[in-house]
Amino acid sequence: MTIEEQIREIMARITHVDGSIIRRESTFKDIKADSLDVVQALVAVEETFGIEIPDEEAQKFQNFGDFVSYVENQVAQKEKV
Amino acid sequence: MSLEGKLALVTGGGRGIGRAIALKLASQGADIVINFFRRRDTAEQTAKEVQALGVKAEIIRANVGDPAKIDEMFGVIGDKFGHLDILISNAASGVGRPIMEVDVKAWEWTMDINTRACLLCSQRAARLMEGRGGKIVSLSSLGSFLVWPTYAVVGVSKAALEALTRYLAIELAPLGICVNTVAASFVETEALKFYFDEQLGKDKLPITPAGRMVTTEDVANVVAFLCSEEAFMIRGQTIIVDGGFSIYNPLSVLERKD
Repeated sequence: MTIEEQIREIMARITHVDGSIIRRESTFKDIKADSLDVVQALVAVEETFGIEIPDEEAQKFQNFGDFVSYVENQVAQKEKV
Repeated sequence: MSLEGKLALVTGGGRGIGRAIALKLASQGADIVINFFRRRDTAEQTAKEVQALGVKAEIIRANVGDPAKIDEMFGVIGDKFGHLDILISNAASGVGRPIMEVDVKAWEWTMDINTRACLLCSQRAARLMEGRGGKIVSLSSLGSFLVWPTYAVVGVSKAALEALTRYLAIELAPLGICVNTVAASFVETEALKFYFDEQLGKDKLPITPAGRMVTTEDVANVVAFLCSEEAFMIRGQTIIVDGGFSIYNPLSVLERKD
C-alpha cells in the first residue's frame, strides 16, 4: 500500500466514511472530520510511519493532499537518514 | 520547603499550568520528568528552563489517553530512575460542545485523558513510590461543580477526578502517599485563549474578588505546597484556587435599601 492509501484508510476508519470519497483535494470538512478526528488521525499516522507531525504544521493542511504530501516528505527524509 | 533529591513527573508539563508546576518544583530542587503529547518544542523549552535551575530534566512523549503509552512512559521512568516521588496528573483535553451534541467519541476522549489517565498514572506511580512514600496531585477545575456552556464533558471528567482523588487518598494512605487535587478557575493560559479567543477583551475577563485573574504561578504554588511535608495531613481534598470567584454572590452588587 502506498503512503496515501494507508493514510486514506486511517482517515476512513476514524471518520467512518467510505475511503473512496477521500480525494487529495478533499478538505477535512468534506471528509466529515472534526478537530478530534484530525488529532486522532495525526496520532495514528505518526505511529504508523514513526514520525512526528507538529501541530503548527498540521494547522497548515488545507486538504487531504497536503496531509499526504507532508507525510511523504517526512518519510522520505527519515529514510535518507 | 525543599524537594532536593526528589523526582517529579508532570504530565502535560510543557506548557501552561504544567510548565509553571515543573518550574516551581524544580526551583525547590526536584528533578523533573516532563510528559508532553503534541508540542515537543514547548516541552524542550521548559526542560531547558528546568535545567537552568540546576536540576535534571527529561522529556517523554506520551498520549496519556492511551493506556499502552502510559505503560511505556512509566517503563522509561522505571528503567532510568527506578523510583518516583511526585506525580502531577495535569495533562488535560476536552471537547467543548453543548450537551445535546456530546457524542460517545467526545465523551471517551475527554474521560480517557482527564480522568482515566490519573487512575492509571497513579497506579503506576504508586509502585515506583513503594517503600519511600510520595505525593500525587491532580488538576481539577471549578467546572466540576459550576456549570459553564459547552463545558459539560470536561466538567464531568473533573468531578470524577475529584472523586477519584478521594478514593486514591484513602487507599494509597497505607503506602505513605498523599493524594489531593487543585481546582482553579479561569487561568491565563494558551488553553483559555484557545477556547475563548475572540472574547478575551479586558472587559469580558472574569475578575475575581481578589482583583485579578488566577495565574499559572498561583496554581503552581499551591501544588508545590501539597507536595511538601507541611501538607502531610491534607488528604483527598480539592483545594480551590480562584481568588474567591466561586463563593462570590453576584447579588452582592445590589445596594441595600435603608
